[in-house]
Amino acid sequence: MKEFYEAIVIGAGHAGCEAALALARKGHKTLLLTISLDAVAFLACNPSIGGTAKGQLVSEIDALGGEMGKIADKTAIQIRMLNRGRGPAVQSLRAQADKVEYHTQMKKVVESTKNLFLKQGEATKIVIDGDKRSVITAVGDEFEAKAIVFATGVYLDSRIIIGSYTENVGPNGFKNAKLLSSSLTKLGYKLLRFKTGTPARVNKRSVDFKNLEEQNGEEFIQPFSFMTKKPIKNKAKCYLTYTNLATHQIILDNLDKAPAISGEIKGIGPRYCPSIETKIVRFADKDRHQLFLEPEALSTNEIYIQGFSTSMPADIQKQMIHSLKGLENAEIMRDAYAIEYDCIDPLQLKPSLESKLHDGLFFAGQINGTSGYEEAAAQGLMAGINAALFLENKQPLVLSRSEAYIGVLIDDIVTKGTQEPYRMMTSRAEYRLSLRQDNADLRLTEIGKEVGLVDQKRYKMFLDKKQKLKNISLLLNQKLKIDENLIKFFEKNNENPPKNSISLKECIKRPNIDAFKINQKFGVFKDFDYEVINEINLITKYEGYLKQQEEDIEKLKKMESQTIPEDFDYTKQKGLKIETIQKLTEVKPINLGQASRVSGVSPADIAVLGILVKKHKEAKNAERRDH
Amino acid sequence: MNKTIVAVSTPLGKGAISIVRMSGEKALEVALKFFNCKGQVEPRKMILGEFDLGDAKEKCLMVYFKAPFSYTGEDVVEFQLHGGITVTRMLQERLIEGGATLAEAGEFSKRAFENGKISLDEAEAIIDEINSESEGELRSALSSASGKLHEKIRNLQNQLTNLLAEIEVSMDYPEEDENEIVRDSIFEKLQQTQRELEEILNNAKQARFIKNGIKIALVGKANVGKSSLLNALIGENKAIVTSTEGTTRDVVEGSIDYNGIRLNFYDTAGIRESDNDIEKIGIEKSKKTLEESDLVLIIYDGSENLNKNDENIKKIIKKPFISVINKQDKLRKLKPQENEITVSALQKQNIQQLKQKIFETIIKDKIDFNGLIVTNERQLQHIKTAKKQVDEIFKVKNESLEILSMLIKKVWNELGKITGETENEDIISVIFSKFCVGK
Repeated sequence: MKEFYEAIVIGAGHAGCEAALALARKGHKTLLLTISLDAVAFLACNPSIGGTAKGQLVSEIDALGGEMGKIADKTAIQIRMLNRGRGPAVQSLRAQADKVEYHTQMKKVVESTKNLFLKQGEATKIVIDGDKRSVITAVGDEFEAKAIVFATGVYLDSRIIIGSYTENVGPNGFKNAKLLSSSLTKLGYKLLRFKTGTPARVNKRSVDFKNLEEQNGEEFIQPFSFMTKKPIKNKAKCYLTYTNLATHQIILDNLDKAPAISGEIKGIGPRYCPSIETKIVRFADKDRHQLFLEPEALSTNEIYIQGFSTSMPADIQKQMIHSLKGLENAEIMRDAYAIEYDCIDPLQLKPSLESKLHDGLFFAGQINGTSGYEEAAAQGLMAGINAALFLENKQPLVLSRSEAYIGVLIDDIVTKGTQEPYRMMTSRAEYRLSLRQDNADLRLTEIGKEVGLVDQKRYKMFLDKKQKLKNISLLLNQKLKIDENLIKFFEKNNENPPKNSISLKECIKRPNIDAFKINQKFGVFKDFDYEVINEINLITKYEGYLKQQEEDIEKLKKMESQTIPEDFDYTKQKGLKIETIQKLTEVKPINLGQASRVSGVSPADIAVLGILVKKHKEAKNAERRDH
Repeated sequence: MNKTIVAVSTPLGKGAISIVRMSGEKALEVALKFFNCKGQVEPRKMILGEFDLGDAKEKCLMVYFKAPFSYTGEDVVEFQLHGGITVTRMLQERLIEGGATLAEAGEFSKRAFENGKISLDEAEAIIDEINSESEGELRSALSSASGKLHEKIRNLQNQLTNLLAEIEVSMDYPEEDENEIVRDSIFEKLQQTQRELEEILNNAKQARFIKNGIKIALVGKANVGKSSLLNALIGENKAIVTSTEGTTRDVVEGSIDYNGIRLNFYDTAGIRESDNDIEKIGIEKSKKTLEESDLVLIIYDGSENLNKNDENIKKIIKKPFISVINKQDKLRKLKPQENEITVSALQKQNIQQLKQKIFETIIKDKIDFNGLIVTNERQLQHIKTAKKQVDEIFKVKNESLEILSMLIKKVWNELGKITGETENEDIISVIFSKFCVGK
């Protein structure tokens, strides 16, 4: 018996959950198919959410009406702001998440959402018949829908590797998806083979913490979600330890047993997340590497050894771990492993994450060659939104690189493809200064509202914040009178006191003074909360630089406003180089901005393309007028 | 908003008049920063005025076309001025200082097309124009002379990429303490970039001397022996030499090769106030010669004491100069002058030494003819801009790392306009190859 839905999401990891929630919340009857109900929103690798650039992604997901930020806030057991002192744009929130709770809470939200049906089952085959798209499962169920979102994570034909032991399973021994890869290949998709890995977990009771450096959380920092108003409590500690020469020797002595080095593993691993054996070979001059011991959850003793991922045989792993300070007697609960999996070449996708090969098929998360929970969730949300817009016959939502990290992420993979699992980094965002974590809500709530994922309550709070920002900015021209008090304040902060009265704006601009200090001393912003003062402080301090960036963004927007019609045939154009034609035909950029980022396309090519596109459009208009 | 672009739209050095054209929203605003005229600027009306070149003023004509009634459909300002490569370049440079950007290949036409000023039929012609201009640039870039510049700039870009990777890794991997960058090292490295850019600029100047020669103006009060000196230098009777004050009315040119460099000499009419109309023209011309010269020989009469005229002349010279004390044979005691040499034009004494001094004053270091870097106007502009951007970074040394990184990226991008590398995909590769990061 066939079952009918409007949309089917395959995979209930971080991408799948966001996609399914977005679809269902927008009123579409959605099936969320997962290979194991115990693997819903599973934090398969490190027990943390956020970090540089990733923190920004989470806040953006939140502003658009996604779920990740809320669950991360709810299940965080330690929280810190990274990069304080390096500038506002690179500050990112990083939380230790309770792995058990994260899964439980997300699953609870998913299974209690209206229009959303969570079901266990392995998708084995995709059938496309006109605008009917069906998924057939291993047990023979058949589900039909107009749209399908693929969010299969690392489960496609995956295998794990520990030394010479290898088994065709998914992460953590979960069942993998054995047949879906070949179904995708038959549909015409080009697959890539990537690799990643995870370190061992040890029992907390067996670790000797007393000589290890502690790493504590910070109190009173703004959480990920705009809707979380209570500060997050720090309930757990992390610890630091280091590899040493003995560790390195064990690894070097056993290199022939390392599959990543012996060539047993063929998949391409990420350069930013190398296994410890790779680190030691490539950076032979370093005599130690930093490791973090992170609690997996409050309800378990398992501890994650960040920085120590490996695919060495289990007995060598044990020796390696026991060579570490504090872990001399560690009980190993789970072995480290490498995992190889299939993903698609993301160049086969449009910026909406819809397939270029088939209408109504969307792809999100690690299947697109990315890595990371946050990257996956961000794509899941966008794929879900765009699948819904597809069902509604509406134009897709594509975020610009100047609007969001999400825009940078998707544009990067669909325009340039990726040679390794793609990780978000702040250095990938050229408009970084404008894409701060603190202003994610200001950048994106309006869009989330328009899409229909931001509810009335949240929107009201947002408007309220905007009004407050307006009010506070009106105060900036207010002058502080010069008196002994003011002079003292300046001197105390190592600033030359002004000769006459000074506006609040000028005060904030002084390098050693900020809006908080001024407020503390003179109470000028006492009617405003932290968020608003923080925002005005940053905007004022960085006014000049933000303006410079604004000009660059303006240029980009102009390029982006010049859209390239889908039926534009590069091969029929005169004046473009053959190489350029080939590249543009493959990527099929949606506007001149995207075209300019295709590798090997020069500014002169873009100038020519601009003329050709305009000519094409005008010719089409003329044709329309004639008929 | 489109940026305002500028370019010389007549072939440089050919024709009697040059036209410098500017297009964009700020065209008039930029123009009026330097152009002074009596009366109102009205669209499509030619107006005479003076253009402030900094050291000097240039009389020229300006026309303003108000959008959309112009070639590009944007606000357009055109300057018409008399010949002179140097003055034309200076004028363009001033407009760039004032906020205009040097136009890209075919950019005026492209804008005209975008704004519907050029019909579809002509689109192909514009495509050809863009392609041929950019190919032309590419070809010249790949030529052996310019290839060296490319290599140098690419090296500079690589240096900056490495620096950026160091800064970025400390921000993208803040938890790995070993990646912490030392702020002082950023500025040390930038200083290196600054020095190298400076070197390229100096070198480019010298290359220009080698290509075009050095322009040397001879000034001095009447009868001081300028024409005789000129003759002595070039070894032929070209300037009219009489002892009647004020007879040298034309700017006379003569050239010699010295150590492989062409020295072009320009005589000037005695600069002093004159009632004689013909001579007045001569004096105007002399002033212009001075402005365009690379070096000035201030000539003094060694047989008499300095007088007010000598002092006045010296005051108006703003270029590098040599004080030439002539009439060595009749020398009286004269107080020593800056960068002085004593000669006798008539008896051809010390002339060779004077040539050597000229050479040394302009070409400071030994010229390595093989190591010379040739730049064209566009490249030079980008290098100048990049240099300026580096200088600016030193003014905000205390800014946060991300701001410094943003400013350094700007420099990288500016240099990329020369090498054609406009997207820095290498930063991340360098991060992963040089630093051990990640879980």
